[in-house]
Parts: sequence; C-alpha cells; structure tokens
Amino acid sequence: MLDTFEILTTSGVVLWSRTYASVSPTVVNNFITDVFIEEKSSVAGAKNGASAAENPPYKHDQHTLRWTFEKELGIIFVAVYRSLLHISWIDKLVDNIRAIFVGLYRDELTKPNTTIVECLTFDQYFDQQLRELEQAGGKSDTRALKNEVLSEDTGDEPPSPPNLTRGQQAPRGVSPGSSPNVSRPGTPSASHLLVAKAGPVAKMSRRARKMQNTTSAPASSGDEGPARKAKAKPVKRGRKWDADGLADEDDGVQLDYSVHTLASDSEVEAGARPGAVEEVDASTWGSQAKGKFVLRDLGDEVSSILADADAKKNAATKTDAPSGLVGTGLSAIGGLFRNVVGGKVLTKQDLDKAMKGMEEHLLKKNVAREAAVRLCEGVEKELVGVKTGSFESINARIQKAMEASLTKMLTPTSSLDLLREIDAITSPSATSLRKARPYVMSIVGVNGVGKSTNLSKICFFLLQNKYKVLIAAGDTFRSGAVEQLAVHVRNLKELTAREGGQVELYQKGYGKDAATVAKDAVAYAAQEGFNVVLIDTAGRRHNDQRLMSSLEKFAKFAQPDKILMVGEALVGTDSVAQARNFNAAFGSGRSLDGFIISKCDTVGDMVGTLVSIVHATNVPVLFVGVGQHYSDLRNFSVKWAVEKLLSSA
Amino acid sequence: MSLQTIKELLEASLTPSPTVIILGLAFCLVAPILLHFLYSTATPYTTLPSVLLLGPPGAGKTALTTLFERGPQDPSTVSGPIAKTHTSQVPSSIELSINSDDPATSYKTNLDEEGATAKKFLLVDTPGHPKLRAQSLVHLSSAEPTIKSSLVSDGGAKSKIKAVVFMVDAAALADGDALPATAEYLYDVLLTLQKRFHSRNGSRAPASMPVLVAANKLDLFTALPAALVKSSLEAELGRIRAARSKGLLDSGVGQDDLAAGEEGDWLGGDGSEKFSFAQMMEFDVDVDVIGGSVTGDGPGAEKWWKWIGERV
Repeated sequence: MLDTFEILTTSGVVLWSRTYASVSPTVVNNFITDVFIEEKSSVAGAKNGASAAENPPYKHDQHTLRWTFEKELGIIFVAVYRSLLHISWIDKLVDNIRAIFVGLYRDELTKPNTTIVECLTFDQYFDQQLRELEQAGGKSDTRALKNEVLSEDTGDEPPSPPNLTRGQQAPRGVSPGSSPNVSRPGTPSASHLLVAKAGPVAKMSRRARKMQNTTSAPASSGDEGPARKAKAKPVKRGRKWDADGLADEDDGVQLDYSVHTLASDSEVEAGARPGAVEEVDASTWGSQAKGKFVLRDLGDEVSSILADADAKKNAATKTDAPSGLVGTGLSAIGGLFRNVVGGKVLTKQDLDKAMKGMEEHLLKKNVAREAAVRLCEGVEKELVGVKTGSFESINARIQKAMEASLTKMLTPTSSLDLLREIDAITSPSATSLRKARPYVMSIVGVNGVGKSTNLSKICFFLLQNKYKVLIAAGDTFRSGAVEQLAVHVRNLKELTAREGGQVELYQKGYGKDAATVAKDAVAYAAQEGFNVVLIDTAGRRHNDQRLMSSLEKFAKFAQPDKILMVGEALVGTDSVAQARNFNAAFGSGRSLDGFIISKCDTVGDMVGTLVSIVHATNVPVLFVGVGQHYSDLRNFSVKWAVEKLLSSA
Repeated sequence: MSLQTIKELLEASLTPSPTVIILGLAFCLVAPILLHFLYSTATPYTTLPSVLLLGPPGAGKTALTTLFERGPQDPSTVSGPIAKTHTSQVPSSIELSINSDDPATSYKTNLDEEGATAKKFLLVDTPGHPKLRAQSLVHLSSAEPTIKSSLVSDGGAKSKIKAVVFMVDAAALADGDALPATAEYLYDVLLTLQKRFHSRNGSRAPASMPVLVAANKLDLFTALPAALVKSSLEAELGRIRAARSKGLLDSGVGQDDLAAGEEGDWLGGDGSEKFSFAQMMEFDVDVDVIGGSVTGDGPGAEKWWKWIGERV
C-alpha cells in the first residue's frame, strides 16, 4: 500500500507528510535531483499542472514515486509506494490532493519570506480522499468479498445530523456507480492500511461498540446485495440546486435525516425501504470511520474544491472570447506598453515568437536540433506565467533564463579535479584500506577526432606535474598508429626531461587484441611503479555494432578509472548519436566519465557540440582542445561556453 | 489630416498662450509625482539586511532555516521544532528578528511577547546542489553584495548581504568523499569574496564580509569537533589551492591575460605554504568556525544565532 505521501516546496521544506511505512529520505532526495535538477529522464522537467498520470513514475530501489508539480506555487506532491504493488487510484489521489491542497492553502503559500504553512488540519482531508478512492478503486475487484466485509462494518459511528445547506451529494465519491461507503475492499493491501491506523476499536464511541455487538444488520445477509444496489441507485443521483439552495426536484429522498437519527437507529425508515435503509443512509452521511470520525461537511468541502478545480481547468482550456473591439485594442496597447516597461505576465503566445528566434540562434551555434528544442522548451516552461522585471523586454528575460538553463546543464555534478583523483588512487591515505595502484585512463572516439593528440596533451600536462606515465598503444588496427604514439612519446620525453616527468610507451605491435594489450599494460605499470596509464584505442564508427561491442570487453579487462571520449567541435547533429552510442557501449555498469572537445579553435563561437553531447548523456565535459601544441589543452569553463553560445556576433 | 491643420496645431502649441503654459506646467508637476508613486508602490521603502546560507547538499541548511523560523512560534501551530526537509531546488528567504539590545537572546524567545526591540533580517537559504551553486555565487561577486529580497517574484528590492553562513556536515567530513566536495565549494565562496575585494572601484573599500563555517550535526557520535573541522578544511583548501595552481588553464583564458588569471586564482596570502583561514583577513573576510547541531541533543544552534545577531 501507500508508504508515504509528501507535499514539499521547491525550496526543500516538507509542508505536510503522511507516513505509513518509513521510507528513507534519500528516495525523495534522489527523485528531486534526478528529475528536477539533473533532468535525467528524457521526458523530465517540471511540467506545470500535468496530472500525475502524465508524469512518468520515478522508480528507485523498490519504490515507485508518482508525482505532480504545481509550478506557480513551487510545490511538489509525491506519493511513494512499493514497486511490487499496483495501485490503480494513485494518480487520482495525487491529483485530487493537489487540487485540495492548493485550493485550501493558496493564500498562505504565496506569502513571502516564510516557510510555515499551517496545514495541520490537512490530515482529515487526506484521510477522506484516501478512503474515498480506496473504495472506488477497490470495489471492482472485491465485489465477492463485499458482503462479509459489510457485516463487520455496519456497526460504525452514528451519523452526525447532516448539514442541510451544504448537503450536496459528493459528485465523485458517492457517484451512482460506486459501492456504498461502508464496503471496504477486502484486499490484503487495504487491510494493511487498517493495521497502520491506531486501534480502530479503541477510538469508537460506546454507542458504536454496542452496535457492533448487535450486528444483525439486515444488509449482512448475502441475497440482499443486488437488491440494495438497485435501491441505492436513484437515491444517489446528483441533486440539482436552485439559487435559494433548495432542491429543484423532489427525487423522493428525505434530506433532513436529523429526525431519524434522533429516533432509534435504523427502524424508522425501514418501513419505507426495508433492507436498503441503513446502507443508503450511511453512504449519504459520508461518515465512514475506521476508528476515526469524519464530518460529513468535509466530504462536501473536498468535492466542491475538486469541482472548482475541474471547472477552472475546463475554463482554461476554452479560449476566452475577445471582449469586443475596444477591449482587445486596449489590451494590445497595454501589452505593447508593458513590452517596453516590463511588468508583463508572459503567456505562451508572447513567448512563442521569441523562443523560435532563440532556437534559431542555438541552431546557428551548431547545437543539435534535439538539444536546442529541449533547452527552449525548458525555458518556455519556466517562463510562462512569469512577470518581467521593470524595463525588461521579453528577449532579455529569455536570454537570462537561457543563460541560467545552459549553466545548469553544463555544470558538472561532481568535482572534476583530475590531479586530486590521481593522487587519491596512487597514494591513498593511511586510513583508507586501498592499495596504491596506477591510475588508468583510456580515450575513445570516432576516427580522426584527435584521440592520440589529446592523449599526448594530457600526458604533457601530467608530466609537468611530475607523474610517471605509461602510454599503452591500444590501437592495434590502423597502420602507423603505434609509430605515431612513439613519436609523441619521444617528443614528450625531450620536452619534459628537465622537469622530472617520466614517460614510456607500452606496445605489442599490430593485430593483437586491444583489450589484452591494455590489461597487460596496466599490470606492467603496477609492477614498474608508474603513476598513470594512458590507453589509446582504435577509432571506431559509433554505428558499427561489431566495432563498438569490443569496447565492453575492453572496459572489463583494463578497468579504467576514467574513460574519456574525444568529440570534435566541428561535428554537428551527429554528436548526439556519437555520444549516446559510446556512452552505452561499455555495458550496463559502466559509462563515459567525461568528454574532451577537440578542435575548438576551428569553430569560433559555434561551440554547440558541447551542449549537444552533454544533453545526450549528462556526462560532463572535462577538457577543451584549443590548438596544435601540447599545451593547448584547457579546463572546460562553463562561463566561457555560455558566453560564446549566447553572443550574437 | 491635412498639412494645414498640422501646421495650425504646431503654431498653437508654440505660441505662449495661457492654455499651453498651464498644460505644460501641469505636465511638469504631475509627471514626477506619478512616476514616484509608480515606483514607490513597486518597491518597499526599507530593505532588510540579509544573511546568505551556503553549503553542500545535505548539510542542513534548510533544516536550520526552519529551526530558526519555527523557534519563536507557538508549538501548537507548527508540526515540530523543525520541518522535514529534502533537496532544495530554489533559494528561499525567511524573515527573522533578533533582539537588537542583546544578541545573545535565544532564537526561541518570542520578541513580541518580551517587548524587546527587534531587528529584522532575512535569512536566505540556497540550494547546495553543484549544478545550482553558480546562482548563489553570483550574488557575492559584486563589491556591495546584494540579493533580491523576495526571490519568488521578480522586481523585489535588493537587500544587502551582511554575512555568509557556510554549513558543513561535520559527521560526513570524517570519511573521504565529502571533504573534497565541501572544501571545493568553500574554496569557490572564499575566492569569490577575495575577488570582490580586488574589484573595488575608487578609494572606497568594499564592506567586510564575515563568514561563519557552521559545523553541523555535532550531536552525532561520528562528527568531528569544530577545531578538527577547521583544520581539516584548511588542509583541504590548501591542497585545492596547490592543485589549481598546477592545473590546466580555464578555456577562455587567452595568452594575454595569463598573468592576471594566475594572480586571481590564488586563495589567501601569497607565497605561504599552508593555507589558514586567518590569511583571508587580508581581504576583509573574517572566517569563524563554530560547531552546533540543528537536531538532537547536541550543542544546539544558539551559538550560530548569536554570531548572526552580532553581525547584522
């Protein structure tokens, strides 16, 4: 059954929560990081107002999360349950709770500079919804069990005198199709919920207990089931009310139950409608109690809130008709004015044109269409309903939002300090129980992107920091590849001889299995006390399954600490497919650790490839190649990339 | 409209007739007043000073925020001394008031009931996730750091940042991975503050910026005491400093501004072998390390509150 339901703000404060089985907070934390911050799933992103059914469920470690997001107020509604269970009504619950919560506490939620929302009373609303949906959902599969369940349930709380003025039938909960409230589903999951609630019997009133003892309610006999249903039907038809609050048709139902409740419990009406009486009344009272008494008013309030929310949604979908020529003219002028002065609430129509321009701009910067569309959609979603600042045009606002969103996308999640990582592996601290071993780095990529060149650049950088480096010639295929590396090694030796770096080439000639060569190289390096092993690999086409499949074996044999992929800045839309295929090529447990973007000096401002590959894989860019020399390798700076991408020269 | 009428209108508007003079005068007098009202309604008159709360994720920033906010509240109206929290995605700010006569007053005392003179300030909680840090650091980079007081809606007044609280999970620092990540963030914060010192314009030095490293979760058995948190952070910051000086240049740094770039990235005093927080004094950045705990039976958060109270 449901483990936890939480209502939390985007600023991280849990406003309200209900826990049935304790769930580690990391589940929700991971959900937030993955879905909202890192946007890992492809359809991710905070879709405002999308119902829980449209949002893909998030699965983490035996738990499934269904969620919905209210963007305007920045509130996330999350339901957590075990993945094993299938709960059909969970979407509905999340949506309804959202509608109710927002309806009840909208004012409090918009208060600035506070995190407190007084919603201690929300418990009862939640209980009411949960019960209602459980019954509606459980009914279909528990019809057979209904009668026996009924027999133990008829002895519930006596009803409160219903409030006539608010006595409107709940349109959802007790719709004609649904079974009477008293029939609780007999599924094991439902009883699980029962257990979680503290002592149902203990909380019952004396009267209720007495009734339970004398459970000889007419409804308990099996043959009455269908009859009861038939009777119940006309009664539960939705009433129509006129302006004065009176029922405009007499549907034969007595609304003022207070008379009967004052009299002895169930006998008064029995004359008119034998057998069905208690059931019908119980359902209209809505005072279903699992050891807890809920006011009738609550159900009505909830249903009216839900109806309101529905109505609003419907109204929103209808395009509002223009209010005359003068009205549109005025609003158009006002809109133009606000465009300049600011303070305009952005709508989708306002943004559409500007977003098209932004998308075009990104495409011109060599960003793959897929990535550009995603970025623009994200920004549009973020901006709809936002008010522009004073003297801020729409374009300026979009520029700002795009900058933030690019920065967020390109910023790596963890630290990328290569030297520190090497130090941690080659000379582990005394407290950690690891043995010192060489740090293994391998470089993969498509043909001709500059794998060997960038490998030598990294090697030069490491040599400057006085590491002992072994270069393994893993390209056993292309003729001249080994000799090429040998030349690099000779150059590097000469360049860094004075600075104390040491470099050697490990090669086994051509035709050997690359994975085995890599493995041997690592073993050799461990023996000879090298700090770092750099493994070159053969270039391969990313859509050639035969060549790509050998990468998995390679990753298993060489066990690299870091697998870097070299991508050209020159390549266009194909970069997405390249990055994706290489990222997936190392088997399920391994993926790329970073990218090196080569040839950045040749593209000027058009560094869109950076965005495309990060978009495709969520793997950070580590280095950027900016020239022909060994020293022309740069750390990737997010600020630099964003500036280049947004510059309009 | 014919040319003739335009001409007539022009002539009429340029002749010194009483109507034109009165209209002109009325416009001159009314326009500034209208503009004033337009702006005065948009922005509140007084802006509160603010304290920025930074730190890696999971350190307890949001928890501390809720603790301070719920402190003086009636326990029956809130769900507990602190709210449950999850990873933050957006910054949030809360308004707090501190006893201006005696900063040592507990955050739990309701100042309204005490009748003490209260000083209000904003505590701005920021998300700690690495992808969202850049937004928080932007606020610190200018010489007079300001932050929008109401982050939710645009167009809020800017509020001056008086102090920075950097939250650290002292229990997590004991094992390997958290320390580098935390130190890296702290390094960025301190470096931003240091650069701010250099970026002053004119003779006016930027206001000093006190930084509190709040070692949280001292109620846990595995937590490092404040002194140890300080020394391990200093050691780690020194290591990062050394690594960055040896590391590759950032992309975008051209050959011509090589010298300037190297100068700017060295945190703390020049030439010193070991880094210590005291070196930051040179740049008017005063770093204190104080231990405490948001939950549990630990030392509590009173010391932090006192520290903040003395700074705002």
